[in-house]
Amino acid sequence: MADVNWMPGSLFDNIDKFANSLGYQNSAIAIELAMMSWKSPDERDAFITSITGEDPKGGTEKNYIKQNF
Amino acid sequence: MGGQGSGGAHGGSQYNPANVSGTGGAGQSGNYTGFAYGQNSALNNSRIEGNAAVASVNAATPSTPVEPYQGINMPQLGTLFDKTTRPDEPITAGVDGNTPGPGSEVLPQGLMNNTRIDENAKIAAQYLPDLAMAAKSPDAPDSFKNFVNYLIQNSQSVVQNG
Repeated sequence: MADVNWMPGSLFDNIDKFANSLGYQNSAIAIELAMMSWKSPDERDAFITSITGEDPKGGTEKNYIKQNF
Repeated sequence: MGGQGSGGAHGGSQYNPANVSGTGGAGQSGNYTGFAYGQNSALNNSRIEGNAAVASVNAATPSTPVEPYQGINMPQLGTLFDKTTRPDEPITAGVDGNTPGPGSEVLPQGLMNNTRIDENAKIAAQYLPDLAMAAKSPDAPDSFKNFVNYLIQNSQSVVQNG
């Protein structure tokens, strides 16, 4: 059973995306941003792209096996 | 012609019914009258003391000078495109690397403190247990595990370095 903690848009997914997109040296900022209430993973990814100029880095959704809960 | 709140035209009665002195009949002088015997002088004394206290507070409050830098000979600020005022100094002075002029050792020390390392260490100490637990999940991506490993190494180096 897939871990609900790794649903796209979950806190840990956000941390993964922000930390790997902004760089580990900015981990404090990455975690703070990950805690924000993002409307959707797409909105979060759009924000990352807007501030880094690159696609979001980090684990992809293939790491998470979607299931109906 | 009297202004608003003054007496009526040609010295007549007042038009404004709200224009009544709170201190009684001696409102112009500020002295209290009309209170019970002995209270008028007490109120007047407290009024005088209060006014003196306010005056002392106002005197102690520094007032903003009209020209704060008056008397200080400041050079006029130029623009980026003005000629340099330090022709003997290379424009790359203060930059490390293979550039003309001295390196960053000539820059003022302590003006900019890099607090990012402290912030990272603080937030790592706060959230690392939870992050480490999440990293143990079989669904955790490798990128997240790498990040947690970085935080662990960073926190250990901070502890070792004090």
